Amino acid sequence: MSSDSTRIILGRERFKGSIDVDSFVNLSVDQNTKLLTEYDRSVDLNLENLFDEERQNSTIFRPATKYTILFSNALTGTTNYVPYRDNLYYTNELQNTISAFPGGNVTAVPPFPPVNTPWEGHPQYFEFDFIRTDNDVPGYTQPPNPHVLFKNVSASTYNWTHCLSYPFENDYKKQLNLYSGDTQVFWNWQASLGIPFVIKIGSNQNLRIISFECPLAHGLNVSEYVELYNSLGQPLNYNGNNIFQVTSLGDAGYGSENYIFNISNIGFVGATFNSSVLGFFKRIININNIKETRSEYYIRRHKIITDPSCTVLTNSGFEQNIFDASPKFQIYALTPQQQFKSTIKEDSQSYNLTFNCDIDVSLYRDNQKRPLTQLFFTTLWRGYFGWTQRLRQGWDFNIPLRTNAQPQPWWDNANLNNISTVPFASYNSNGVGPFIYNNFLFSGDTIDGDYCEWNNYDQTERVISIYTHKIKFNQNWFQVISNSLPPTNTYGYFYSPHSPIQIRQFSSYVEEGSASIVADIPDWAYFSKLSNSFRWRDIYSYGIVDEDGLGVDYPFLNGKHYPYVNTIFRITPENFNIPSPYQQGAVGPNITTIEDPTIDECE
Amino acid sequence: MSVNKFKILQDDLNKYVNIPVEMTWDFTGRDQAIEEYENTILNDVIGQPKDFEVIRFSHKPTLNAFTDINYEFNFYNNVLPITSPLVSPVNWGSTYLNTGFNVQDIYYYTNPFTKSFFKLDFYDTPNEPTQKNYFTVIIPVQQGLSQTALLSTFVPPVDIRIPTFKLDFVGDKEGFFIYWLRKRNYIDINTFYMSAKFFDARTGVFVRMTNRVQPLLVPSKFTFNNADYFYYKVTLDYPSFTYKVNDVLSNIEVGSAGQPIKWYEYVNP
Repeated sequence: MSSDSTRIILGRERFKGSIDVDSFVNLSVDQNTKLLTEYDRSVDLNLENLFDEERQNSTIFRPATKYTILFSNALTGTTNYVPYRDNLYYTNELQNTISAFPGGNVTAVPPFPPVNTPWEGHPQYFEFDFIRTDNDVPGYTQPPNPHVLFKNVSASTYNWTHCLSYPFENDYKKQLNLYSGDTQVFWNWQASLGIPFVIKIGSNQNLRIISFECPLAHGLNVSEYVELYNSLGQPLNYNGNNIFQVTSLGDAGYGSENYIFNISNIGFVGATFNSSVLGFFKRIININNIKETRSEYYIRRHKIITDPSCTVLTNSGFEQNIFDASPKFQIYALTPQQQFKSTIKEDSQSYNLTFNCDIDVSLYRDNQKRPLTQLFFTTLWRGYFGWTQRLRQGWDFNIPLRTNAQPQPWWDNANLNNISTVPFASYNSNGVGPFIYNNFLFSGDTIDGDYCEWNNYDQTERVISIYTHKIKFNQNWFQVISNSLPPTNTYGYFYSPHSPIQIRQFSSYVEEGSASIVADIPDWAYFSKLSNSFRWRDIYSYGIVDEDGLGVDYPFLNGKHYPYVNTIFRITPENFNIPSPYQQGAVGPNITTIEDPTIDECE
Repeated sequence: MSVNKFKILQDDLNKYVNIPVEMTWDFTGRDQAIEEYENTILNDVIGQPKDFEVIRFSHKPTLNAFTDINYEFNFYNNVLPITSPLVSPVNWGSTYLNTGFNVQDIYYYTNPFTKSFFKLDFYDTPNEPTQKNYFTVIIPVQQGLSQTALLSTFVPPVDIRIPTFKLDFVGDKEGFFIYWLRKRNYIDINTFYMSAKFFDARTGVFVRMTNRVQPLLVPSKFTFNNADYFYYKVTLDYPSFTYKVNDVLSNIEVGSAGQPIKWYEYVNP
């Protein structure tokens, strides 16, 4: 209690000539109740409003996608495991027949062939198709001595498995490495360290800029800042400072502004910024607010939210893809079994993926603890027929080959960091084995995702590099023909497991406000100590699409949202992919590159 | 204006000024409760959105994980009048030739043949006066196994379709899956009674089928309990998204390759 003395006296008594005035005591009357509204209530029943209200309140989704498979069956190999050998798409059948029938096949008598030599060819398209249809092949999927006794119920899960996932946490400690075929350098770093670079124009060249080339899109804008670290992850200091302003982007090359950034050469001396220096950087938006505007770098981790039994994969009816099937009629004399047969090298099918279970997104928060705005169709190689090894994982930046057309060291079997979290198992067949396959993932299991950048000030997540799986053949059963590559690091096929579907949309603008003056600040807002206010991006209502095309407007019926997206699923053979402009140095021997456009963006 | 003189001295005691403020109070939350009630009334008037989405049920796997479901439709060959006491089960056979189609119709897929189909109706009860047909599955004649037949004596034998079906995830799929409501809060039925008809596009009539060959119907081949002989029982299992088919009379599970679902043409006298 405070007990200050207060005297209230009449105005005219205060001093000579003063007059009486009213005195006031201000009393605040706080009220947390309101008047009872006393009148008849009437509500207009408006179908449109009612529909919108139900739509905005619903958090249940029934996502669907149509997969179009783009597959190039490019890798050939040899095998003398009989079920595989007899079901290849042969590529050197004449020589193989000569080897297998040394006395000629005209007079040969069963059992065929008299000599079990390796045969060359491609595994048929069935081995990669989403739904296998070769359920009637004697000696392979049917008796006698089947490699796998085909169960039709498993036709859609022998090769691939599908589920839904969402990003739920960040892994800052994931160890990454990258070999740049273009710059001939190798980086090994922890995800949180940022984006690698190599100095292309160093201070030793005495030009006006120091130019940094990155193997990944840097995501910088002019006038932003970079915080530099050396190849050991320690600050790359010059006079005690490792933060520098970006003055320009790119060089004369087309599209280089996404990969090259420059800082002013203000007369740096010493070897700090010499050419070929390797390092890493983190993006900083505001030099006066380093802590809050510095980007974070991490691997986004996904959690599976559907079981395999929920998945329904069906053929897309009436879908006509641009790539036709590539069948071949094999003449009986040029097959090991001396039988006519038709084999298929490639095809391009489409499939519809839906789920029997509903997805209530109110149960989940994303990796930034915000409401879910994206779900992911996660497709994983299963390879139950045993042609391949356990899955290897990496990111898009691990795909380009080295200059000698070898896969990056990342993909070597000896690298423990490339082992995916997908469990594997094995079985024996016809008394031999093991044949390795990858197991299902179930609801609650986790798997890695894209390499991302997050900035609290921007409230934006950027995908730096897409998560990739590599399918490698099991060299015990199928030896890939690949120019003297070490058996532990052979060619394989790449695919991206996670295909996103947008279910809600964050606004293109950032809201900012203080809790004392702005109501309904969402719980995922970031509190900036510098401005003493919250920063966040609103979530657009369903059906709202802004002038930039941001927003979602999916069908809403049965009280549920029905998001849909077309997905192109690429199964890309290694050494046959078209390199990006900054991977030209990694061009393999059989690659046809796309020439630069004659008209660039400026024109 | 009136002014009063007050003198308040410091004496370490709190002072109070009592000011009467007249108010009409509302209990906190009453208004919200009324809004809740308003929503309830609106739901009563308009109704909640109902979920009519369907999911796919496949045939329950056997112990060996085989999932195929097998139908065998048999037609009367009309060699004898159906009223003849000499009519026996051998007069029914699983061939379209018994229906009046010839080998050319079947082999060349003439319009009367390809426009014919089998219609499986699913009812909530076998009691015909009260039953409701909830959904229908069509099996086209372009599916099915085959038999060897002669187009003419001048060309080699050919394979033609027969009304015996082996439906599965791969191969012949039309009619394999049953699609029924995903949620059970609107209609909660998971047991259906399946009847079969054959639409003969050549004559434009539906032919009804029984689950036993007609001479074996009890008490007679024309007088019997419809609920016993015109239906199979189909049970949906929601947890596994599968269905199974049982014989109505014996309750034996049927549909496997060794025990197909047999249907026989019912011929009216």
